[in-house]
Amino acid sequence: MSDTSAPVTRKRFVRWLLGTSVGGLVAAVLYPVTRYIIPPKVGESAASSVTLPFPPTEIAKNTGRIFKFGNKPGIILRTPNGDLRAFTAVCTHLGCTVQYRSDLSEIWCACHNGTYDLNGRNISGPPPKPLTPFDVRVRGTQIVVSRKA
Amino acid sequence: METVSRAQVRALALAAAGLVLAAAPAAAQSPPSDARCVQCHRQLADTNLSRPARLFPTDIHAKFGFGCLDCHGGETGKDSAAGFIAKPNRKDIPALCGRCHSDAQFMKQYDPSLRVDQVEEYKTSVHGKRLFEFGDTNVAVCISCHPAHEIRPPSDPESTVYALNVPATCGHCHADPKRMAPYHIPTDQLAQYKTSVHWEWMSKQGDLSAPACNDCHGNHGAAPPGVASVKNVCGQCHSTMMTLFTGSGHADYFVQRDLPGCETCHSNHAIHAPSDSFLVEMADSVCAMCHQPGDSARVAFLAIRHLIDSLRVARDSATAILDRAQQAGMEVSQAQFELADAKDALLKARSAIHSFSVDTVAAQLKSGFAITTHAEQRGAAAMHEHLFRREGLAVAVLLILGVIAGIWLLIREIEHRQKHSSRSS
Repeated sequence: MSDTSAPVTRKRFVRWLLGTSVGGLVAAVLYPVTRYIIPPKVGESAASSVTLPFPPTEIAKNTGRIFKFGNKPGIILRTPNGDLRAFTAVCTHLGCTVQYRSDLSEIWCACHNGTYDLNGRNISGPPPKPLTPFDVRVRGTQIVVSRKA
Repeated sequence: METVSRAQVRALALAAAGLVLAAAPAAAQSPPSDARCVQCHRQLADTNLSRPARLFPTDIHAKFGFGCLDCHGGETGKDSAAGFIAKPNRKDIPALCGRCHSDAQFMKQYDPSLRVDQVEEYKTSVHGKRLFEFGDTNVAVCISCHPAHEIRPPSDPESTVYALNVPATCGHCHADPKRMAPYHIPTDQLAQYKTSVHWEWMSKQGDLSAPACNDCHGNHGAAPPGVASVKNVCGQCHSTMMTLFTGSGHADYFVQRDLPGCETCHSNHAIHAPSDSFLVEMADSVCAMCHQPGDSARVAFLAIRHLIDSLRVARDSATAILDRAQQAGMEVSQAQFELADAKDALLKARSAIHSFSVDTVAAQLKSGFAITTHAEQRGAAAMHEHLFRREGLAVAVLLILGVIAGIWLLIREIEHRQKHSSRSS
């Protein structure tokens, strides 16, 4: 009679359990190692909100600062009236990082002299579209910038 | 075939008119009105007469309450013949439209933001000059671009003057060799424009602010820009390049030689996306079109190309190593974030080419080289750290596998011993 038709004894069961456990243990060690050596593709950052690493008091009227939003730059500015506003800092023309020009009270792209008003609207130069605005919330000494819903 | 004399035709026409009047006595006697014009014209077999009545409800003038009589005359309540204009003479059309459109007070009631100098501008255009000075009625008048009875505002995607439709509207005449033959001007502008980067941005990327014909030539005052003013026309959008070019030695030289500013290198209608290949030692490169071998300027533009290539290669190399490090799970997001500024430096340097100065280009690239060097170092450090971790992992895995193998062997040894002892007993 073949071995497979033999009744399952306690000893055979323990042996089977031990064999599969060792296999599982080897797999549990090798799988993360394989994933470490051949990692999956890294996708675009899906960050939807960021707390800025500086307090609101560090942004004076008619000034702006660049911050990191996911892996793209954002710009936060305080208008001459004192409002805090934030936008993507990627110029809609060829993707340069824009900056705040206190002398013009405008957002400016140095690459091709494109300008945006304080609402992010493209007003001169080659930029074809406005900057995407973010929501800005001040919580005590923190500024939280998030994508608009 | 039987011939019919003019007298017979006239008699027949009078008889037909009599029949019409007899059949519609009310229409013949009552004063004209827009409703009555439309009522009859819609039913006419001649499409030249029925089409206006069918189209007019879509016209912006109809939406503001204007009607047939406002342009064609024939006052309500008076003799139908009083001041009636059946088909306005083309030469009179600017004045006819200008009756309202040049009246600021009147236009304010409907669109206060609409300009009222179209007719004055038109008089300065090539079209207007030919119409008024030479009596050439084949040139474009108002209705050539704003078709009568179906005029829509420029914001309407179905309008002939909607940004995306402007090239086709101008091309309707300017791409027609038969129509342009008397003027001896080329007819390939539309075909050339459709290969341009401007049309690509407008039609494929949906950028309606990209220039169409009217942005460079004007719309009502349409005329080719003069040689000296080409740079100003392009400079409306490309102001950085215009400023640098104006300050360069090329600006005066081009004017002296009657060469148009930007157009000499970038063409006019077929403006393609500029590339670094403009600056190569090839007969068909843009700079080599004028600068002969041995020319000192040739050395300069090759030096500029070399500098730009160096930063591009450095940036690509830094990007690649940071991408590899990120893929390997290392934290390099700050370095990647900062490396984006190298792209800005590269773009600024490409703009600075319009200064035609190696030093100006090099100054723009300087910050880019500093960024790429730093990024490369951080990428290399991350990869070094990754390698160290990998080696550590290899050692740890070997140890774990060794322990597993040891346990397995120990179990087998125990089993073997048990079997041996049971046999001997």
